[in-house]
Amino acid sequence: MRDAIVIGSGIAGMTCAIRLAERGVHVCLVSPFPSERSQSVLAAGGINGVLSEHEEGDSVACHIEDTLRGGCGLAGRKAVTGLCESAEDIIRRLEKAGTVFSVDENGRPLRRAFGGQSFRRTYYCGSATGKHIVSALVMELRRYEARGLVERKLWSCFYSALISDGRCCGVILYDETKLDLIPLTADAVVIATGGQNAMFGKTTGSTQCDGYTAGKLFTQGVELKNLEFIQYHPTTIETKQKRMLISEAVRGEGGRLFYLEDGRRVYFLEDKYGPNGNLMTRDIISREIDAAGKTVWLDISFLGEEEIMRRLPEVRDLCLKYIGLDIAKEPVPVAPSVHFFMGGIAVHLNHETNIKNLFAIGECASMYHGANRLGGNSLLSAQYSAIVAAEEIASRAPAGGVPDFAAELGEGRAHLRKLKESSGSRFPVTYIREMLADTMREDLGITRDEASLRSGIKSIDYYLSLADGINYDSSVAMHELYSLKAILQLARATLTSAESRRESRGAHFRADYPCEDDSYAAATIISYDEGRYSTRLDEERKYES
Amino acid sequence: MKVKILRQVSPFSESYWETFDADVPGETSVAALIDHINYNDDITDETGRPTTRIGWECSCLQGVCGSCAMVINEVPSLACETFVRDLVKDGNGTITIRPLRKFPIVHDLVVDRSSIFENLKKTSMYVEEYRPSSKAKKAKQKEELAHRYQTAKCLKCGLCLEVCPNYVNGERFLGALFANDCYLVSSRNPERSAEVGKQYAEHFAAGCSKSLSCMDVCPMKIPTIASMAKMNRKA
Repeated sequence: MRDAIVIGSGIAGMTCAIRLAERGVHVCLVSPFPSERSQSVLAAGGINGVLSEHEEGDSVACHIEDTLRGGCGLAGRKAVTGLCESAEDIIRRLEKAGTVFSVDENGRPLRRAFGGQSFRRTYYCGSATGKHIVSALVMELRRYEARGLVERKLWSCFYSALISDGRCCGVILYDETKLDLIPLTADAVVIATGGQNAMFGKTTGSTQCDGYTAGKLFTQGVELKNLEFIQYHPTTIETKQKRMLISEAVRGEGGRLFYLEDGRRVYFLEDKYGPNGNLMTRDIISREIDAAGKTVWLDISFLGEEEIMRRLPEVRDLCLKYIGLDIAKEPVPVAPSVHFFMGGIAVHLNHETNIKNLFAIGECASMYHGANRLGGNSLLSAQYSAIVAAEEIASRAPAGGVPDFAAELGEGRAHLRKLKESSGSRFPVTYIREMLADTMREDLGITRDEASLRSGIKSIDYYLSLADGINYDSSVAMHELYSLKAILQLARATLTSAESRRESRGAHFRADYPCEDDSYAAATIISYDEGRYSTRLDEERKYES
Repeated sequence: MKVKILRQVSPFSESYWETFDADVPGETSVAALIDHINYNDDITDETGRPTTRIGWECSCLQGVCGSCAMVINEVPSLACETFVRDLVKDGNGTITIRPLRKFPIVHDLVVDRSSIFENLKKTSMYVEEYRPSSKAKKAKQKEELAHRYQTAKCLKCGLCLEVCPNYVNGERFLGALFANDCYLVSSRNPERSAEVGKQYAEHFAAGCSKSLSCMDVCPMKIPTIASMAKMNRKA
């Protein structure tokens, strides 16, 4: 193919743009903000891989098995095998791009232990791995920008995809500098917009990751997958402005979780699961903390100030700055919070959606993590998925002619005009988004049941009924306004998917169906047709080919 | 307390000051304070006159993305890690907020920092092939790595440019973030050192009066002076 549009410029989007440019494909990289503002910079703990130099006994096969086991049987073996086999190449390339990995006395990259893994195989840059990878990729990408192979389009937000006869030929963007919708066509479109944290309010992620793109594509005929599997990270802290992540690296470096009973520390995870109890997978620990029903603390102070500053400096800074607590001296109170979305846009092994020439990569796509993601596997899959998509696009013949999209553009402009002129309801967008976040946190928490999910769906339907008639607020960015409806539709699809899975598996725990049920051992696929949300299980494993 | 904000509707309109009343606990960050003012059905200024929501940028809200860079009580800062307790005593007093003035205003506190990225592109700040020098002694390598780790954390937030007495609009002198990127490129690929050194001389060394105020406001505490020393040695 000759050209591609990549929506989103975090680690997945940048990796895809670099790999496409290397193969001579012209890329338009679209994002409202530069890559330094992406959610990728928040990734803390590390990236998994079994390199030629590895811990004794470890192997790529073992990384594959750990990932599949962590995913509770829902991740496809073929995809996970490709992911784990590529880890060495990906990490070596990151080193070559100048990523500042933490190294030992001899300059060899260090590894730390992470949850759900049989060996130490998580490579890291202090506790700011995502930021360091972003910095290296920004520079790598700049080389192709300078050569004119990659063109960055800032201040632009996705509005919709141009789809005709099941084929995607481009996108319509909202350009904040022109205050207008702009059509952009290309042979292929790659979506790399991250998860949908903001649907749950201010969680551990970026406020910019709102799920709009996935929601809008859903209403345009793109199928979504496994939306019910939402990772609650077990160790986060509450601050005045958001929930902040305490990296799993703390437990990887020996951190212990406990609660107090009669003034005595109870290391409840070690008591139940043995000495490695603190490194169980995130779904299990989150449920255990939730079930404890009292304040749970994370202690790493025994490591001492010097070691903490060497291995976890950013975690110490964060706690000092936002809650005035020194992890080198005392334990920190933690609680689970929404962190990562295993589900998202349904893609085939080559990362193409059910719409031809439309691809999805990174967290917004669902492929490698099944019902629960292992820490350290997302930085890996963000890049691997980008490479797979780039190779597919670069090897294909150009797509051919572009149909006339004047009607779509006209409809879009009329839609924005209507939003500006509307005055039907007294609810501004901000309030509905707050109510949505409350509903999602309450009704789609760590533990769900039929009643909570039905009540959630009822609430979302009410918000949807308001969405078409809200007051326009000229001081709110246009994206915030037009995005509301599709975000609500994505929320509705998420609750519907969770309602349809009447079993418990990985991060999806149903109090009314607390056991795993073999008849549900397949991905949930959800599709949309004029207000109808239809779910099915992908029993033929259509999306694993 | 009073919150006085310099506002501007669009790139083409006049700016104006507007003052709000707010009552928030001291541990509130300025980011949360702006959110607090914005989260109201009918926003009014201190006189009760209806007004619009304040435009500002945020993403991570924990000091690692650089979106919310602005000038708070005359100090260029990130709103998400500047706290009310450090700005006013016992909830009394005035917090003054204005956008960065070295960049074009988009809306209220939102500015267009594209010039930062355009300049780094124009001056070819990329590694090409990674070939760090392996000749250095172990202790030296360790020190280099620690500096590279700190420097690569640069947020490209623009606070160092805002505070700099030499940086005007990025046409010639490109400021501390440029000097740090020069160091990163030449340390990752010494073969590009000469070329990068030339850019450094022209766009940094020739214009820097070494006030080092850039280091005081850097949210990542990047020791730019060390990058300068290393670049000067290379030159």
